[in-house]
Amino acid sequence: MTEARTLTFETPSFYKRLKGMLGVDFYRLFHTPMYYIFLAIAAIIPAMVLGSEGQPNAQGEVVRMYRNTWNIIAADTPLYIINNIGEYANMNMVFIFGGIMVSIFIGHDYKSGYVKQLFTTHALKCDYMLSKSIVGAFSMACMCVTYLLGGAFAGIMSGVDMSVNAGSLMIAILGKMVMSVGWASLYTMLNVIFRRYFGICITLSFVIGTGIPIIGAAALIGNNFALNIFLYGSSVNACLSSNIGALLICIIVSCVWAVVYNIVGSVILSRCDVY
Amino acid sequence: MNAIEIKDLTKRFGSKQAVKGLNMTVPEGAIYGFIGENGSGKSTTEKILCGLLPFDSGSVRLYGKDYTDPDLRAKIGVLIETPGCFPNISVWNNMMIQAANLGIADAEAEVAKVLKTVRMEGAASNKFKNCSLGMKQRIGIAMALLGNPRLLVLDEPINGLDADGMRIMREVLTDITKNYKCTVLISSHILTELEKIATHYGIIKGGEMIGEMTAAELDANCRTFVALKVADMNRTKLLLCSKYSRVEENDDGYIRIYDLTEPEEIVTFLYNNGVIIQEIESSKIGLEEYYIDLINERSVQ
Repeated sequence: MTEARTLTFETPSFYKRLKGMLGVDFYRLFHTPMYYIFLAIAAIIPAMVLGSEGQPNAQGEVVRMYRNTWNIIAADTPLYIINNIGEYANMNMVFIFGGIMVSIFIGHDYKSGYVKQLFTTHALKCDYMLSKSIVGAFSMACMCVTYLLGGAFAGIMSGVDMSVNAGSLMIAILGKMVMSVGWASLYTMLNVIFRRYFGICITLSFVIGTGIPIIGAAALIGNNFALNIFLYGSSVNACLSSNIGALLICIIVSCVWAVVYNIVGSVILSRCDVY
Repeated sequence: MNAIEIKDLTKRFGSKQAVKGLNMTVPEGAIYGFIGENGSGKSTTEKILCGLLPFDSGSVRLYGKDYTDPDLRAKIGVLIETPGCFPNISVWNNMMIQAANLGIADAEAEVAKVLKTVRMEGAASNKFKNCSLGMKQRIGIAMALLGNPRLLVLDEPINGLDADGMRIMREVLTDITKNYKCTVLISSHILTELEKIATHYGIIKGGEMIGEMTAAELDANCRTFVALKVADMNRTKLLLCSKYSRVEENDDGYIRIYDLTEPEEIVTFLYNNGVIIQEIESSKIGLEEYYIDLINERSVQ
């Protein structure tokens, strides 16, 4: 029973650990009906907003909120303060759907006991944060794509002007997709902190995703470029007059916040009970 | 080399001290029965060991390494309470998910092998939520066996099972201990089942280890007794009490005289006092009674 044996333990590389975890998370994402529901919602919302906004009101007047189709993707200029719903309702709404999606995804990890099973293996807490952030960012980027398709389709069908600077539009879309990385990391961190309280996770994801804190700050300090240091600020900065500088800001802000949120989330996970 | 070495472990939940300076040594290759009442700190200790709970002070080493080493953790199979499976996914896919997390190369063959070990090969396509408790526990053990672990930590795998489920589980555990040659730490309240497979025991009370022993030491520690049945139990008991220090009447209608191996002396004594013995046998107390005695002794202290 106690005969001497040489014990060797293979050290799983970071790549091997992350590959396994990402494989599982992507498998789960593609097998989660909620993911497809959110993709559909992301496509339907801009189509509904754009398709219905040209309808006459009770007085028979047609009041258009959008100058052209692509305003459903982004505003003409960076507007941190919003004056009407048209200035607000653009691709940034994807970050609200994404937040709820991440909350459901991580909530299910805890509810099923998967996290418990996972952390008894060689998986590190930082691997978990990173994997969830990547999968969350991917799902939000996919929502951006379906949002674009829904908006463009509705624009074509409703005959709204479609003229645009293609380069700026592309930068705006790419900028918002890049911002998904930071947003997903933020939501993952929030869900790790409030893992026992699913309702709080969903509410926080919604409140932060709507950008209310930044819109509130903008109401106090005005349309200030400094707001770009925040996720919502940079997301707004990616607009139809953007240049490559705006995209760079999005990349830097998104990556820096993603690193910060991942580190904070990993530290919290390491110091707390997994349950 | 010891598979598990825990020294002066403490863990507090708010005002409750769950583990108080616990020391525990599990030799490699042992099947270690971890015994204790509800709330004694068994599950907390196992969760700490499995990296699910941080602890306040002390040290936990597995195979001489820090218990958080990722390379080590890949070789530890765990079933804490219930398996962490997605309810709407099939048993097979849940197993494949765990195999992917462990980075097992030939995952399909490995999953098929462990499902066969736990007699679940026929239920692989069932959704996890449709499995019975016994099946779920066996799935949990199958998950723990993935990747050919060096150490298995099983928290109450038998509890809640019906007689048949318990029989299957016993067979599975016996197979595992024979074929996998890994160290097993198993906690259970069902001591009669544990007694059949454990080679070592650790008894915990109030977060402290009150006794660690091998099965042989337990056997030596377990007191012998002579049990007998007579027509007039009350008179016989009084007679025996006048001669022997510890005489008890059991619920099953037998009088037990402890610390005696040879019944002849009692037979002669009772015959001389006009008592006719209907049944008599000499035996030893089991793990359950030993455990109860030990716990009671501690309570008195």
